Amino acid sequence: MSIPVTIADDSLLSRKTVRKALPPDWDISLTEASNGHEALAAVAAGKAEVLFLDLTMPELDGFGVLRELHEHHAKTIVIVISADIQPEAQKIVDSLGAFRFLPKPLQADQLRQTLAELGLL
Amino acid sequence: MMTPLTELQRDALQELMNISMGQAANALARLIDAKISLSIPKIVVVDASEFQQMFQSERYWFTRQSFLGSVKGEVLTLLARAGTETIGGLLDYPLPLDARSNEELLLELANILAGACLHGFSSQLGLPAKLSMPTMFSARQRDSDSFNWASTLLLEVEFQLEGTAFDSRIVICLAGPSVGVLLQQLNALLES
Repeated sequence: MSIPVTIADDSLLSRKTVRKALPPDWDISLTEASNGHEALAAVAAGKAEVLFLDLTMPELDGFGVLRELHEHHAKTIVIVISADIQPEAQKIVDSLGAFRFLPKPLQADQLRQTLAELGLL
Repeated sequence: MMTPLTELQRDALQELMNISMGQAANALARLIDAKISLSIPKIVVVDASEFQQMFQSERYWFTRQSFLGSVKGEVLTLLARAGTETIGGLLDYPLPLDARSNEELLLELANILAGACLHGFSSQLGLPAKLSMPTMFSARQRDSDSFNWASTLLLEVEFQLEGTAFDSRIVICLAGPSVGVLLQQLNALLES
């Protein structure tokens, strides 16, 4: 059965970059979200077993999404992909239970390695 | 007159600037051990009068530095007058700042922020450009034709140092022919 995966990022280019970095033979059903609310809606609808999450987004940002998921003990595996690479941002992301922090510009091999570590490939 | 950007081009530029400012903020945050909030970058086409208005503000110090290479233009850095003492303290400048160390601090900040911004931007697009050292300038002294950015593309990002009044804006101005070069690279990126 294919794995429900959501990419949450307000940038089209950025979502495309993530999409292109995904292993072509990975069996997933893909959903895209352009802000935090849409990301949470995708989680609620069972469309995000894995969530690729940007931090800087309008409406509700990635930190807000992480907080919400953390409070509700969501089972979603969150991989943050962010341009905000300050140590402080990484610390917050870790404390809110994200599995991994990947800096932008995204390196495809880093993403694949992360998925392999998760046993998802 | 500049051709307006398509939605896709604007989105891509915004994302590239977002990544560049992330690198710039990280460079500064590590230096002063503080957290910097990032806003969503603005990509705007402005006319001469809008452009000049930016420098009427009493809130900022201004620096400028030109860049040359596969794209040409100028980076302007606006640094809040409020809060420079705080940053000076974090960078171990003797306080209160005298005029000379104030200027030194501003030029150093401009160089870190603008340097990382431009580097992030040009390296992602494969458009190498070399940035000159910044100099201070005053809006009042400025003679009206020292800028030739009459109607051009401005890429603007804003940094806010958390817990202080300090903020900074970096504006990358591209010379006319360089806009075309930029759009060409951008389209190649979008079509890849």
